[in-house]
Amino acid sequence: MIEFERVAKVYEGQRAALSNVNFRLAPGEMAFLTGHSGAGKSTLLRLILGLETASSGVVRVAGTDLATLSGEKLARYRRRVGVVFQDPNLEDDLSVYDNVALPLRISGFSESEIPKRVKAALSRVDLSEQAAVSPRVLSGGQQQRVGIARAIVHRPALLVADEPTGNLDPELSARVMRMFTQFQQLGVTILVATHERAVVESLPFRRLVIEQGQLVSDGMGASR
Amino acid sequence: MNRWILDHSQAMKDAWKRTSDRLTPFVVLVLLLGILLALPGWLAQIWLGMATLIPEEVVQSEAIVFLEKDLEAETRIDLERILTEMEETDQVVFVPKSAALDALSAEDGLAPIADLKSNNPLPDALRVKFSIIAGEAKESQIVQMLGSDDRVLSLRYYPSTRIQYASLVEMLGFLGIGLSALTIIGVLMAVFLVSAADVVDDRRRIELYTLLGASHRFIRRPYLYRATLLGVLAGLSACLVIVILNEVLSSALASNLKALDERLENIPMDGRILFGVASIAVLASWVGAERAVSRRLKALH
Repeated sequence: MIEFERVAKVYEGQRAALSNVNFRLAPGEMAFLTGHSGAGKSTLLRLILGLETASSGVVRVAGTDLATLSGEKLARYRRRVGVVFQDPNLEDDLSVYDNVALPLRISGFSESEIPKRVKAALSRVDLSEQAAVSPRVLSGGQQQRVGIARAIVHRPALLVADEPTGNLDPELSARVMRMFTQFQQLGVTILVATHERAVVESLPFRRLVIEQGQLVSDGMGASR
Repeated sequence: MNRWILDHSQAMKDAWKRTSDRLTPFVVLVLLLGILLALPGWLAQIWLGMATLIPEEVVQSEAIVFLEKDLEAETRIDLERILTEMEETDQVVFVPKSAALDALSAEDGLAPIADLKSNNPLPDALRVKFSIIAGEAKESQIVQMLGSDDRVLSLRYYPSTRIQYASLVEMLGFLGIGLSALTIIGVLMAVFLVSAADVVDDRRRIELYTLLGASHRFIRRPYLYRATLLGVLAGLSACLVIVILNEVLSSALASNLKALDERLENIPMDGRILFGVASIAVLASWVGAERAVSRRLKALH
């Protein structure tokens, strides 16, 4: 699903954010991307999301070299990817329902299809009752679940999460991770960037460790 | 099609929401742009209003060309033909000395005419009416040419109001064009900066939309609708200011015009100006916003 081949990213006038990164994530696989702050996790995710282009090497997602995409093609590619952020980045002016429906509206889903999908997504994250309220009245954990519902509502083949449990207590973190596990069992490829060792070590998934822009370790989680 | 309508209605709602969220700066901007656009608009209104108002003969210069005595008919007709064929002249009328005497007598009450008729002291004359396309330079060139012509005894030149005030009119014209250009640039810049600031404010939201797969066209839409609304309202306020200025100041202007020529009345409102000002407002706002948002989106990604 995701292939990094000798990927390097150098920002002008700065040291390399990534250098010679090689890895492959199979369809339906889930992996953690760990490392300290500034290690290069965010850069790697930005490359996958097409927000940056590699200075050298190739980034392929579902067989497509992302460097060849631009404009409308890049937008179409992003519609097939789900993204979860540390801060759920919800629109306070919209209801929970409309926030979740946003990717569907952007992708041009028909108005008859949108309610079915939004209801299904909200039910997956146990927020069906809160559909009509503003995200402002929800707790941090609930807001994060709305963010997750928004990321999966269009049934993406790839889900990318950037520190999704960064603002949550251990109990909520575990709940969010259980959701990711369920999505993975449904065949979604998931890459979770996190620096929370407890979260990573509690789950039996592949772990990519990045340090100073280099992939220093690629193996299974400790508990497996 | 349904999707297209939904997308656009959503963008319109979004634009309206942004506007109502920041209503005070929006209203200030509308009024500012309205006043800015009204100034050249009003100048153009005076210009065009006067052009439609002033009768053609007021803007036509005239010359009375007194011919040498005992000039042969053929020579006179030849001069008449040369003048008629010039594109700077509109009309050349031969005024025989008998007619001139009659006219003089009627005007000044000279009598007894019968005594003078046998020994008419006046020369024959040609009355030359210049075309309105003839400029100041061409008219004075023709006057000079006639003055040095052997067939001409003397001449009297009556420059039109247009020619008398040619340099002032020209200066006002340049001022109007310059002011209009500056205004349009000003409106473009104002909308550009406001839209650019909006995009910076909405940076987080734009990044989210980008990550969710929104195209630049989709992201740009609400900003363009907002700019269109700004343009429409600024255009309407500019039209309102022009109409008010015309109502308030046209009598003062008209009294000055009447000093030039008593046939000149109030300046009528010209619909083309209002249409032009409103169109410029919408177009300038749209272009300003489009450029700002596109540049910002490009810079963001």
